[in-house]
Amino acid sequence: MIKISNVRKEFQEIEAIENVSIHVNKGSIYGLLGSNGAGKTTLLKMIAGIYEQSEGSILIDGRVVYENPSLKQEIIIIQDTPFFIPQYTLKQMGKVYRSFYPNWSEERFKQLAADFNLDVTKKIHKFSKGIQRQAAFILALSAQPSVLILDEPMDGLDPVMRKKVKSLIFEDVADREMSVLISSHNLKEVEDICDHVGILHKGKMILERDLDDLKSDTHKIQLAFKGEIPQQLISSLDIVHQEKRGSIFICIVKGLEEELLTKIQAYHPVILDILPLTLEEIFLYEMEDAGYAVQNILD
Amino acid sequence: MFELDVRSRKPIYEQLVERLKELIISEILKTDEQLPSVRTLAQQLTINPNTIQKAYRELETQGYIYSIKGRGSFVSPPSLHIQSEKLEKVKSELNKLMSEALYLGMNAGDLINMVNNIEIASKGGLEDDQNQ
Repeated sequence: MIKISNVRKEFQEIEAIENVSIHVNKGSIYGLLGSNGAGKTTLLKMIAGIYEQSEGSILIDGRVVYENPSLKQEIIIIQDTPFFIPQYTLKQMGKVYRSFYPNWSEERFKQLAADFNLDVTKKIHKFSKGIQRQAAFILALSAQPSVLILDEPMDGLDPVMRKKVKSLIFEDVADREMSVLISSHNLKEVEDICDHVGILHKGKMILERDLDDLKSDTHKIQLAFKGEIPQQLISSLDIVHQEKRGSIFICIVKGLEEELLTKIQAYHPVILDILPLTLEEIFLYEMEDAGYAVQNILD
Repeated sequence: MFELDVRSRKPIYEQLVERLKELIISEILKTDEQLPSVRTLAQQLTINPNTIQKAYRELETQGYIYSIKGRGSFVSPPSLHIQSEKLEKVKSELNKLMSEALYLGMNAGDLINMVNNIEIASKGGLEDDQNQ
């Protein structure tokens, strides 16, 4: 389990992370979302033990990560630009990894290289961006880490490879209870892969929850009445956001679907649609709440 | 076995619970039949194993499946619970259809007649129909 409590990180004058706490359960896939410059990469690098936090604690299974080689043998991070030793082939990189990671499986390495159809004797820097990323995944998954940290992992992978990488990650989560941390701006992807999400904004966590719970207690409702919208109804709902388009009233409401239905149906609306929110919508509304929204140019 | 709609707004977990329920209610998955393992299903559908586990747990608390440690999950024998769920579904469909029928000009009397006729037909005629 990864436990981050009250972590702060500053680089000289800049405060990159201010007071962040996160829990990632063993075997969970955690999606870290956030605005540009929110501090996602800094946070991931601290969890991987690359940076040391200025304050607070980062524990993986109760152990401190920073400067702890025996724990780092179980952690792999794939950064937004994967790193390979210059001039090395995939086979040579495999040897380097094998010497660092005791869980390394040569068998898996060969299997994955064959699955991805990569030439292990070719120099990695001659591969395209997408194939270099595949190489990074092959190395990471062959090392069989207990924590896998991915910074913008799917960038540059084609849809076939995305599906393959996803199912390989799921396999390790199911078989070995590997914990995965993913940062991404592709919210659709995070929605499909992750079971927990956290949203980071300006160095602070503004939300951290089980994804299904998050989706089942916020809804988008479209309403229309024959006459005016009953004010009583509006004031009885927990409305996060509302707008009117012609005679249709659209609002984002907190609450369970069934309770909302019975509440609203009592007022006999002519149109009533309740839709679950997508992660993208949740993200946009939460960001709006945090004062980070797109200004409407037409206003 | 089945496909999930990843573009749908519905959480994958809910879709999964619904799909499996449908398969159990319609008896495509039979009593005591083993459900695919979390690992297999995660591979087949490319979805998070934790989501599948959660769906299985939910189905278990609702009484649709039972699990044996180390062996997997199996379909429970049909219970009153499942029957009542089926009934609720039929009721809501009838509700929709009858509202439509009323809107299209049928009246309550027509509907009641229809119901009576159906009841007679399904019971194989009136008890004393030889007298008519």
